Amino acid sequence: MLQFVASGIAIGCVYGMIGMALAITFYVTRIINFAQGQLMMVTVMVTAEVTGLGYSAWLGVVAGLACSCIIGVLSYLIAVRPILAFNRFGFGWLVSTLGFAVMVENGAAWLWGPTSIPFPTILNNTSVHFGEAAVLTGQQILAIATALIAAVVFEVVRKRTLFGKIGMATAADPEMASAFGVNTTTVAIVAFAASALLAGLAGVMIGPSTFANPYLGDTFGTYGFIAMMIGGGTERPVAALYGGILLGLSAEGANALINSRASDWFPFLVLALILVVSPRGLFSSQSPLMRRRVAAAAR
Amino acid sequence: MVAMNPARTGPAAEPASHRRALAGLVVVIAYLVLTWFVAQASLSVQSVILVAAVFAVLAISLDLVAGMLGLYSLGQGGFFGIGAYMTTILSSRYGWDVFLLLPAVLAVTGLAGAIVGAMSLRVSGLYFAITTFIVTLVLTVLETNLEITGGLQGLLGPAFPDLPEALAPLGAPVAWCIMLALLFCIGLVWNIRRSALYPVLLSIRDAEPFAEAAGARTALIKVGVFSLSAAMAGGAGWLFSFLGVVSPGQFDWSVSLNVLVMVLVGGINTTLGPIVGAMFVSMFPVLVNINPWLQEILYGALSIAAIALLPEGVIGLGRRLFLGRRGIAAPVAHGDAPPPEAVAAGDPSIEQVDAAKAPAAPRASGEVVLECRGIECGYGLGPKVLKGVDLAVRRGEIHGLIGPNGSGKSTLANVIAGRLGPSAGTVTVRGQRVNGLPPSSRARMGLRRTFQAAELVRELTTTQNVTVGLYDRVPGIVRRAALWPMLPSGRRDGAMMRGRARDALGAVGAAGWTGERVGDVPHGIEQLTQLAAVCIAGPDILILDEPATGLSAREVAHLARILADLRRQGVTMVIIEHQTRFLFPLCDQVTVLNLGEVILTGTADEVRANPTVRQVYLGE
Repeated sequence: MLQFVASGIAIGCVYGMIGMALAITFYVTRIINFAQGQLMMVTVMVTAEVTGLGYSAWLGVVAGLACSCIIGVLSYLIAVRPILAFNRFGFGWLVSTLGFAVMVENGAAWLWGPTSIPFPTILNNTSVHFGEAAVLTGQQILAIATALIAAVVFEVVRKRTLFGKIGMATAADPEMASAFGVNTTTVAIVAFAASALLAGLAGVMIGPSTFANPYLGDTFGTYGFIAMMIGGGTERPVAALYGGILLGLSAEGANALINSRASDWFPFLVLALILVVSPRGLFSSQSPLMRRRVAAAAR
Repeated sequence: MVAMNPARTGPAAEPASHRRALAGLVVVIAYLVLTWFVAQASLSVQSVILVAAVFAVLAISLDLVAGMLGLYSLGQGGFFGIGAYMTTILSSRYGWDVFLLLPAVLAVTGLAGAIVGAMSLRVSGLYFAITTFIVTLVLTVLETNLEITGGLQGLLGPAFPDLPEALAPLGAPVAWCIMLALLFCIGLVWNIRRSALYPVLLSIRDAEPFAEAAGARTALIKVGVFSLSAAMAGGAGWLFSFLGVVSPGQFDWSVSLNVLVMVLVGGINTTLGPIVGAMFVSMFPVLVNINPWLQEILYGALSIAAIALLPEGVIGLGRRLFLGRRGIAAPVAHGDAPPPEAVAAGDPSIEQVDAAKAPAAPRASGEVVLECRGIECGYGLGPKVLKGVDLAVRRGEIHGLIGPNGSGKSTLANVIAGRLGPSAGTVTVRGQRVNGLPPSSRARMGLRRTFQAAELVRELTTTQNVTVGLYDRVPGIVRRAALWPMLPSGRRDGAMMRGRARDALGAVGAAGWTGERVGDVPHGIEQLTQLAAVCIAGPDILILDEPATGLSAREVAHLARILADLRRQGVTMVIIEHQTRFLFPLCDQVTVLNLGEVILTGTADEVRANPTVRQVYLGE
């Protein structure tokens, strides 16, 4: 019982980090970057490659994160900026970010081949016991800690710093923001780099158990997207982390309590149910759960 | 675009319509000849073309909702899958006849579309795309995990029945079936695009309040069109099941996105765009035969390039190159002409009215046709914008509504028209309580309104925008839309509506602008277009929200004459306006609002004399 809760939270934090990464770019540009999962994959592949060449795992991780940041910024410059410049309210970005994802994924498959290559174990071999009931690997604990730190840092930046407010202003009305002297391009580049970094970190957390595979981005990108949607990350990026944890719990819970293949479909049932009840996510201001709280706060 | 415009009324119309019918016939015959070649072609060529044709049907189904209603559905892959799986399972497992299955598939996917549409309409824009995306996601998961769908391997689709012996020389029957289905879908959407419903659909897309104020039940229309689009996608699934194996990967979310690529690359809201896009996307892997990874990379790069460099798609680019952009230089030619005089001169009844002395004896004896009692209204959690507002308007009178900015005038107009629900108080129209009725129902009762910031479709001409105003005056616009240009009654009503719209534009003094796109006209003409769109419907009660904004002095004088004339026809009006010099001479009664409360209701002279009004509004 406790075991699936613990491992559900751990994997949920990984989904939640990708969800938050999606939410950060959405927060600033009002687009969903369909290449987010692929940015995670880039970190995993480069880390595995550098470590495979005989360098230390930490150097590999740094190189991997740097690469995904660069590609994240490129995704903005190539697949987002020109499209938004033409029509900020159109849906062209759906096509172009997906096109970018296809390019990155197949580029990786071309470079490394379609099969998995080994990934450094990092903390995967240490295990921590929580009483009799649950065991987590050091890697899982690291994932939870990283996700929480990222969420806290992000909330502090968003609410307490000028940069966070500039981000909000850029999202609401780029033209108005630039009239106030905000360089909206810089804001967006920083947001895309930060989101690629977060996705890359998620990759480092999950890499030891999945190994490095060019098609990793598909699965994790989809799960990250679901995490954002059920949480309501389009309004508050932190809600994506809650959504991710809920997703992880429902997947692990389904495996433990229904049967070993139930995680293939049960989370989607949860997703559909949540969106019927609250189309903008469970932790959004319009959800039945939160509405009372918002009203109370206003009073 | 202009070349395709239906002919004007008059003696020239008949030969032109014959010519068009002939051209249509030639195109259809050419299409059938092409189909004959496809039906005779080798299996490999045939399958490439047929897959492209099925995707073209799918792309057309998306273009129907995305192009005309702005609903970017990512559920097309899901509905496509429902159609294919339903056909395969019911025909091979339960032995249903495939032709019997077609109506069943259309009904089931149409119903599924109506349910999904009704649920997703709670959200709009991006959230609509996401909700429908998730529908596809969940359906794919079901298809992968259910016993009956055969898991990841999928099922072998049914074989298409053979033609009778006598028709065998025609070639492969499945080719005929798919190509004719595509022709049917092209024809259906082509007809809708030329129907009187088209301007209404675009106004729901770009200016929903305008469509509602013209009496269109926009939510119902959206659900209906989305349901039609889902049924079309389901029909595409029915066609697709004859082409081989049916497996979950063929209907997942990437298919939905690829269909969007097809529509955007080809050109959204065009007849040929979705077909060109579908050909590009589905034939690309066949034509570019290189290393599969490189091929995918190239595909990704090309789709980014297409979106970035051709934002209006291939067809949009072609249109710009070959037809040029009309109407950029034209407004200059019209701008200097004085339309008011030109129109007024032809109409003695207008000329008699002197704007400055317009009001005859106030008709205080008329019954009250519009009444607000104790209206309270606020936005969200903020302070109340209206606090216990009472307003009574008698038949045939012009009732002015003035007050400083933020006093609640437009809010009151929205409460009367039904866009906002008051938190307390009642609105009655001709003695009937209308609280809770949507704007469209109030419009059907003869209550029409204009907007402070004009709500119009920028890519349509002023004439087309004005025809939206006739939506509830011409019966069967929705019912006949699918066949409109083919029906004599459709052509007749279409010509009648355009003619009346041009007359209405002429009557408000915008005769010189009837062929211009709203995106190209000055602000004042937008206001006049709005006015024409409400006048054309022969309204009983009119609510005008700052109608004189953006008009020149001469146009304002003409507007005053039009309004006085409308009053003589018995139209009751509530006019919100800041230009008291224009407003006061027209009004029988004036109500002054300040901070959400009525300060005073009285004649213009009483209002002018009132010290409080002078202080808060006239600034003395």
